[in-house]
Amino acid sequence: MTAFPAVLLPLPVAIPLVVCAAMLATAHLLPGRVPDILATLAALGVAILSAFIAAHAADGPLVYWFGGWEPRDGVHLGIGFSVDEASGWVAAFIGLLYALTFVFAWGFFGRTHGHFQILMLLFLAAMVGFCFTRDMFNLFVWFEVMSVAAFALTAYHLEESALSGAINFTVINSLAGFLMLGGIGLIYAQTGTLDFEGIAAAVARGGRDPVVAGAFCLVAAALMIKGAIVPFQFWLADAHAVAPSPVSVIFSGSMVSLGLFGLAKVSAVVFAGSDQVQHGLPVLLTALGSFTALLGGWMALLQRHLKRMLAFSTISHAGIMLTGIGALSADGTGGMLVYVVGHGLVKGALFMVAGILLATRASIDEIALRGLGLGIGPAGIAMAIAGLLLCGLPIGVLDQGTRGVQGALAQQGHGIALAAGAIGAALTGAAVLRAAGRIFLGLGPDSGDEAGAPSEDEREKANRPLWLMLAPCCALLVLDVGLPAHLIEHALPRAASAFMHRPAVDTVAEGPGWLPWMSVLAALAGAAYGLLRDRLPAFVVRSVGATQSAPTRALEALHSGLIGDYAAWLAVGVAIIVAMLALA
Amino acid sequence: MLPYAVAAWLFGIGLYGIATSRNFIHLVGCLGVCQSATYVLLLGLGYRWGSIAPIFYDHPPGTPAVDPVMQALVLTDIVVGATLTALLLVLTIQAYKRGGSLDPEKLRPMRAGSKSGRGQGSSRGKDEERTAP
Repeated sequence: MTAFPAVLLPLPVAIPLVVCAAMLATAHLLPGRVPDILATLAALGVAILSAFIAAHAADGPLVYWFGGWEPRDGVHLGIGFSVDEASGWVAAFIGLLYALTFVFAWGFFGRTHGHFQILMLLFLAAMVGFCFTRDMFNLFVWFEVMSVAAFALTAYHLEESALSGAINFTVINSLAGFLMLGGIGLIYAQTGTLDFEGIAAAVARGGRDPVVAGAFCLVAAALMIKGAIVPFQFWLADAHAVAPSPVSVIFSGSMVSLGLFGLAKVSAVVFAGSDQVQHGLPVLLTALGSFTALLGGWMALLQRHLKRMLAFSTISHAGIMLTGIGALSADGTGGMLVYVVGHGLVKGALFMVAGILLATRASIDEIALRGLGLGIGPAGIAMAIAGLLLCGLPIGVLDQGTRGVQGALAQQGHGIALAAGAIGAALTGAAVLRAAGRIFLGLGPDSGDEAGAPSEDEREKANRPLWLMLAPCCALLVLDVGLPAHLIEHALPRAASAFMHRPAVDTVAEGPGWLPWMSVLAALAGAAYGLLRDRLPAFVVRSVGATQSAPTRALEALHSGLIGDYAAWLAVGVAIIVAMLALA
Repeated sequence: MLPYAVAAWLFGIGLYGIATSRNFIHLVGCLGVCQSATYVLLLGLGYRWGSIAPIFYDHPPGTPAVDPVMQALVLTDIVVGATLTALLLVLTIQAYKRGGSLDPEKLRPMRAGSKSGRGQGSSRGKDEERTAP
């Protein structure tokens, strides 16, 4: 490709940073809605520019070396951006999600001198940088910038719950940062470079090396903490449930999946040459992913606080994405990349519905809200559609991702992971559909186990018209359903192989067509059970209750909200990763 | 070998501190201990015996020096650490103002039991409202 697009590569990172710096300097002078407009335009600019870059990267990755420090004689001194097609499109999706979130949050944070927009733009710049970088340490820097912006945004409301949720989030993700830095130090000590390609070449030359495997363990643990994989998932439910709803849209829609995006990139590009890592990965990732998918789905079904329920659903879907990476094939990774986008669209829309309920009905509690959604039917329809898409209704981008992941898993014979993913998706769909039925149709007078789940009264300002909040939500759903499938089908094999630095494959395998329908049916059955429990024969309800109540209480007790417990689980998780790689 | 061991020990002891801490300020300190593990590890990895700091102002170029990349990484790490500590202490102060405690046990994000009863009560109230007319 010509030099023309290459100099554009830093711009999607630079634009939000410059706008955010300018806004910080002039925030007290800017009248009314100017910060909203500026931020929306900046995010749209990032989306368009990233899409342009992605379209140019179709022929091969674009590379930009800062300050012209290109590698010479195999020595990488400079820091570079390298954008392949998939990374470019993911960045474009993130920009679009931010633009729609800014519209959703229009005037939401009234008297703040644009601080919300400033933090969000910093967050956006960090995410795009994370997608584009080809330098290990640079990856860590964007990881930390992303984290710090996220910590501040979580605690934005400065309420008791928000603060303690933010503290848990900060401590666990800081530990992730330290682990990652330790891993980067080890890999640098062994290979003498921080550049992805340089490390990959040195790792491939080195053979079996405990230091390389150790470095991978630390980096992978850090990215899995960001990606909320069991047993690192505890921070997510605390943070997402208490963050303002526009922030939760970004958290669930892009931040969590970006951690897994990073893991996919690092394991496919940087550590591709290490046999030990590549042997250990499939079992490790599919096992952790299956477990995460099931646990997240189960926990989602037990919640009554809508944002907390959606948070657990995000955990479940993160598990499904992880199984996609675990297939270690272009199909699986390609499916996972599409899944990231599709899941972000659907989950963003769902958090926006939660925000609409908070703003117009002044509650976020499913049981307290029963029947109160009758006046805002369109939001209910959006929630029901999103719920159906979430559990695998076979249309749209999310379904295409699901089929890619399932196809790869079926091809490689990971039957358990395949089933776990389908069940996890069905459970989260059932939770969303049950909430939609209860809130918007007034069904489900008998609250079962979810009545014992934690909840809290919360309010968000009701200063926005319904259509303004509903428009971005519907835009996300329309994008998910309406994006032409053949475009993705056409680009995916090429983009996935370029992402993994492998020779191109012709087609992408697809999973069994009946599996998504099974998920949808299971989700509908689960939701119907939750809503119509009082009309079922008593022995059915009693037997289900008897078998599930005890494990339910145990699971809820496990999510104690205590930072000490989370730190202990973090140590357990790192030990699991190390043990599984040591055995490989 | 020694830097590895010291780093692992520091990280472990810091993590133990976080896991057992009953005071948020103590907890922030423990996080600092964990972070010190990364300083020790990085500086240990970049160290060369018998070489100078990588500043060539009064040394001829070519004098053996320790790895400057690692020192740059540690500097960035220190910046990250300062940001995190400041942010966490701010959050702690605000949490203390609202919750009146520094004990993680008393400042949990969202717990069952304390408030769910109220939620049920309000839902029951709304049921009655709806069925009354």
